[in-house]
Amino acid sequence: MKRLKNLASLLTRPKPPVGTTPADVVHRENKWRLLRYRPAPGQARKFQTPVLLVPSLINRHYVMDLLPGKSMAQDLVAAGHDVYCIDWGTPGDEDRFVDFDDVCDKYLGRAIRHVARSSPRNKTHVLGYCLGGTLATIHAAARPEHVASLLLLAAPVSFTDEGALAAWTRSPQFNVGSIVQGFGNVPWQLMQSAFHMLRPTLTMAKAVGVIDRAANDEFLDGFLALETWGNDNVAFPGECYRQYIEQLYRGDALMQGTFSLSGTPARLENITCPVTCVVFEHDNIVPWQSAAALIDRVRSKEKILLKLPGGHVGAVVSKAAQKNLWPKMSAFWAQHDAAPEAKVTPPPAPSAPRPKRPTRPARAGKAPRPKAKAAATG
Amino acid sequence: MIWDLWKKGFYAWEDATAKYVEGWTKSPLLLGPSGMMLGGAMKAKAAYDKAASSWVGNLGLATKRDQERALHVLNQIESRLIDLEERLAEMQKKDDTRT
Repeated sequence: MKRLKNLASLLTRPKPPVGTTPADVVHRENKWRLLRYRPAPGQARKFQTPVLLVPSLINRHYVMDLLPGKSMAQDLVAAGHDVYCIDWGTPGDEDRFVDFDDVCDKYLGRAIRHVARSSPRNKTHVLGYCLGGTLATIHAAARPEHVASLLLLAAPVSFTDEGALAAWTRSPQFNVGSIVQGFGNVPWQLMQSAFHMLRPTLTMAKAVGVIDRAANDEFLDGFLALETWGNDNVAFPGECYRQYIEQLYRGDALMQGTFSLSGTPARLENITCPVTCVVFEHDNIVPWQSAAALIDRVRSKEKILLKLPGGHVGAVVSKAAQKNLWPKMSAFWAQHDAAPEAKVTPPPAPSAPRPKRPTRPARAGKAPRPKAKAAATG
Repeated sequence: MIWDLWKKGFYAWEDATAKYVEGWTKSPLLLGPSGMMLGGAMKAKAAYDKAASSWVGNLGLATKRDQERALHVLNQIESRLIDLEERLAEMQKKDDTRT
């Protein structure tokens, strides 16, 4: 009976309260904003290295802050992290000229530097999800100075997989130049229909799932929130899209080592910070092999590959993720919170007293490296 | 019981159909013509937009593209200003540390 009642109320049900964790806008430029989540009263920031969440360019940032009580950002703040998130905003018609360097170097670089400045280490942990992970990887490869660690969720780096998206974009008849010429920014409707085509029967499967679990209010709230997010997409800046398809999808430039960011080579081998790469077994948007390829290429002494069951979105925001994945992420950052140099015994004090100076973060590179942790693959 | 049985059958059908459709969507037989259709439509749209904007341009008015370029340049100037502010703040910080 409750199932029927809930199904009947689906149309009149109030819009789910998505992205409601309180946050301050600490930087604003063009259409993007940098948000800093506020800890709830009674909560304190326990860690000195902040965390920057980088969502995909074509989806709204609030997937990281879906619902109260089911929000990654809220949970991380509650765990004591200082959490920042990029909201890429909605590109205007003039942003058709925004290119990959603008997004990945200028905007992301600014966000990373801004967040890093709030830490005594002058570094930040970076979490990238989907295309946001690709951006974070490229940035860390070209400009690693302020990146304390890299945590990537379903972030494609190799584009030679057999997935449908790779097949479509590699097709010689797919003329990316004419799409950008015709549309300016690539409309979200075009991209969303492509995602629907990946599994056209998914809508029916979802409907059956909803009928099956309609009696569960919590499930319905989560489902509606996810659908709200899934249908609230943004256009892809045209020039950026052209480079993304031509260089990354068609040229596989990241894996070939030929990609450059504002003229600086972005080689995956340049990444030496601790890396955790989370891939999802049933991900049909980013096949897990496409994301896992990073692990073999980075020179980090600590690199972890986590292969989890689930799909591209569900596995990141589900109840299971809240129980298993998010605590693991928090533990990874907690483990790498203090700079390795901070743990080193200070050198003996000089014989003559020195004039007092303001404290400066210890210089990296002079301290011994932390003991390597065995790379775990699952 | 009947619902569970039906559900099992449905998911088996859904999985098989999805795999079959995926095979087709990756087939050059489908990708070729659909890519050409999309490309052709886009070229037609770009040609129409160009003709319309040249008409507006001939009247001495700013075209949509002109406005887009101007706005983009303004955004770039804003970014450069923020760059400069950032550098100045860094220099100031270094100076403060020294003194």
